[in-house]
Amino acid sequence: MRLVVDGLHKSFGSLEVIKGVSFDMDCKERLVLMGPSGSGKSTLVRCINWIEPPSAGRITFDGKLVEPGKCDIRRLREDIGMVFQQFNVFPHLTALQNVALGPLVVKKMARKAAEAEAMELLAKVGLSHRADHKPGQMSGGEQQRVAIARALAMHPKLMLFDEPTSSIDVELIHEVLDVMVKLADEGMTMIVVTHEMGFAKEVADRVIFMDQGLIIETGTPCEVFEHPQQERTQSFLSKVDLA
Amino acid sequence: MFKWSIIFENLPFLLAGAWTTLSLTVVSMIFATVAGLLVGLMNMFGGRVIGAITRVYIEAVRGTPALLLILIVYYALPRIGLNLPQFPAAAVSLAVCYAAYIAEVFRSAVESIPKGQSEAAFSLGLSQAQALRHVILPQTFRRVLPPLANEFAALIKDTSLVAFISMEDLLFKAKIIGARTYNVFSPYIGAAIIYLIMTTPVMQWSRNLEKKGE
Ligand SMILES: Nc1ncnc2c1ncn2[C@@H]1O[C@H](COP(=O)(O)OP(=O)(O)O)[C@@H](O)[C@H]1O
Ligand SMILES: [Mg+2]
Repeated sequence: MRLVVDGLHKSFGSLEVIKGVSFDMDCKERLVLMGPSGSGKSTLVRCINWIEPPSAGRITFDGKLVEPGKCDIRRLREDIGMVFQQFNVFPHLTALQNVALGPLVVKKMARKAAEAEAMELLAKVGLSHRADHKPGQMSGGEQQRVAIARALAMHPKLMLFDEPTSSIDVELIHEVLDVMVKLADEGMTMIVVTHEMGFAKEVADRVIFMDQGLIIETGTPCEVFEHPQQERTQSFLSKVDLA
Repeated sequence: MFKWSIIFENLPFLLAGAWTTLSLTVVSMIFATVAGLLVGLMNMFGGRVIGAITRVYIEAVRGTPALLLILIVYYALPRIGLNLPQFPAAAVSLAVCYAAYIAEVFRSAVESIPKGQSEAAFSLGLSQAQALRHVILPQTFRRVLPPLANEFAALIKDTSLVAFISMEDLLFKAKIIGARTYNVFSPYIGAAIIYLIMTTPVMQWSRNLEKKGE
């Protein structure tokens, strides 16, 4: 796995939200993305799997330039898992069906095999006992873990997390973070938008700080958190620490 | 004036008309629902040209009386060689008409599903069609049932328009009885009661579903 983002721009109408962002990452790297609300973190992450088509710039995944031919992009999305702030689990399906859907529909896997693997993934995120429950009966923390298992079912090479714990009750956040730490320990390549400083310090190889559509600082957690070079990073961190 | 006896004596005759009304409603509704779903999907996902064509169709149907469509299909189309018997002509006209309304029912149901649902489906690698089939449409099922039931009740009433092409539905039978007995009041009241017996349970069912949905 190797991801290269080169000169990425994204506009919504006349509003330019990403103003030329470049970075690259290698297999097993763990990147944490931070920055104030509205700085373009979600948009950047959503451009990577083309849920939001970029306005300009190049994205190269595993040496292949990603271009807007439909099939190509669907292949890309199989290799890139995504976890959303609002979970976006499928409410009409059970936890098991949520996790098995991708392999069944996209990979045309046999039902038995897909469901057996889905059970394993649910066990991995600690939800074996919830396999036959629908999202409506689950807590936010449980729904988000289903969403993680659902993304893992496609055997992605890269996982994108967009504020995965921001919509979860404080006392349940650790459930989700524990799963993410476990994934990191297993060597999953991931990009995580989060303001969980503890998680970032423990897991991140690199922290990227964004503001107003640009990367303004990047470094190891120690560099960015202990010795921020930019004034905007300093003021942002002082607010997060207080919270 | 009003006499129950006239209704009772002619009840089999009225019920035969009610049977025509009901079977025409069911047949038209089935075609209208299938066509409405297709038109709705083409309107939303068919691209610019198909989207525009279906939009014109929907607006044209919504802006003209259903009766006009029935008259065109039954009286005007034969002039260009398209001859349909009464029942199919009536069913086709009503289906074409109601498909437009039902397309809008499906459209608003699909649009009411949060965008994150299709985004999650796409992020797994599903195509647009797969996302619709496995994620979006199953979720709209509950939301479309109440409005579809309402359309069904409205269609029961609108089938009475086929009296204009002399089809012997419930309304037309009542008219015949009126002419035969010189008492128009009784058969029309009888027809009204039978219409209510058909529409009320459907509308009640729709209301119950809506309550359950909330
Ligand atoms: N679909 C959209 N249409 C228009 N503007 C959008 C859309 N999505 C995001 N934006 C705008 O882009 C900016 C960056 O948003 P976002 O990427 O969500 O920031 P962050 O995730 O850092 O809070 C915001 O000003 C937001 O209002
Ligand atoms: Mg965001």
